[in-house]
Amino acid sequence: MNELYRVEGTLSRGFVGQITYTVCLEEPLQKLDIHFTFDQDKRKYRPEEVTDELIRDTKALCLKNYDLTVDDDRARDIILGDMKTEIHTLATVNDEFLGCVHKQLTDRHMLWDGENASEGCIPRPVFDGVLKVTVLVFNVIKDGTGYVLTVSGE
Amino acid sequence: MFKRYELHNHTTESDAGITCRQLTEHMIADGVDVFAITDHNTVSGQPIIRKLLAEENLPIRCLYGMEYTTYYGHIVCPVLEQYVPWDSINRKKPELLFRACKEAGAVTGVAHPFSYGDPFARGCRFEMEITDFTDVDYIEIVNNPEPLHEVNEPGILWWEKLVLSGVKVSACAGMDLHGLNDMSMCFATYIEGTADGDPAEELRAALAVQRTWVSKGMLVLWEGTEDGIRFTLHDAKKPGFVPSDRYVLTLKAKNWTKEYDITSGSVTIPYDEIRFEDAVPKLYGGDPILENLICVAPVIRTKA
Repeated sequence: MNELYRVEGTLSRGFVGQITYTVCLEEPLQKLDIHFTFDQDKRKYRPEEVTDELIRDTKALCLKNYDLTVDDDRARDIILGDMKTEIHTLATVNDEFLGCVHKQLTDRHMLWDGENASEGCIPRPVFDGVLKVTVLVFNVIKDGTGYVLTVSGE
Repeated sequence: MFKRYELHNHTTESDAGITCRQLTEHMIADGVDVFAITDHNTVSGQPIIRKLLAEENLPIRCLYGMEYTTYYGHIVCPVLEQYVPWDSINRKKPELLFRACKEAGAVTGVAHPFSYGDPFARGCRFEMEITDFTDVDYIEIVNNPEPLHEVNEPGILWWEKLVLSGVKVSACAGMDLHGLNDMSMCFATYIEGTADGDPAEELRAALAVQRTWVSKGMLVLWEGTEDGIRFTLHDAKKPGFVPSDRYVLTLKAKNWTKEYDITSGSVTIPYDEIRFEDAVPKLYGGDPILENLICVAPVIRTKA
């Protein structure tokens, strides 16, 4: 497939929201591949990244949000076990829903190939018009989380 | 007849470990009447199950929906056949999305409202501020995998507070299935229907009048008689349900709760003993503590 569009970006810690890229398809496509990756290294905290400040913030958040008192060890478990950067992708063509991939992946393809499509996507024979790819950012735990989005077609 | 609905289920089309076929077969094996496919933010599993049911004439009905998985909470729509965008989700005005879904023919519910969100799993807790429940059909008062006291209890209490304040919103349960989990002694949603009834229409009709039961398998029914309100037990024959030696019925009104023994299978409460306008009947297998909860029945609105 030919690469039609490529974009790179960087997300800062704490960003929640979406970024949509619009691609005007020059000609009808029968195959489409939307490939999205973000820094594997930025998805989770490593043990050496757990600072006193992070533990303090996590304990404060648990208390504020859930009236939950946790000790340092439990806070560390939450930081290493639960906290994660979570980003998903969604696509439409001419505002018609094509699919969304909601899996915990740092490297994902939304692939349409004739009668088949990736899980989360609806098979479709032809793509023509205005393609929109939305990056859904649920959580970013580290500054400088880089991502790359490419759209390829045939 | 009563029909068992499983309104909240996922497949590999989103983040579950079971395919559409496995989900369907799991539901059939457990004797479910109607199940919904509610994958996170995608409707791609719908045509797969439609094709499966059409080609293999399987003994189950499906509702085709989706679970909106937003940054500020989940909205489960067991019926949503037309994708409605949510990119303008407004934490302080979620009514806009509920309204848009309803206009597209959806059935809408607040999913696991008190799940743990940030820093555990951002977006899982319902943090949106609903001020108008007109387009909210139900609250998922029990999300079976969630902890009973930490998550489901506040959900039940929130719903009770709303309905006892006059808000018309139903209660439902969900398995939130992501695998082939055992469903025995889990809460399901029951509604009245007919053998050939359309499952989506029957659900809509039940939700419109808040006639839903959330139950592990024994239902408590009520009707007005000459002598008072008569409550009876009804075994829904849910696989794996363990009967209790003793059943206690509670009626919870705004400012008080009363208990009645209903182990015999029925009890009639005289009208002069009923000094309330609205009350929530609940059935327990033994002492009325949350661990023993078996059924939450439709609200009694004595004025109505």
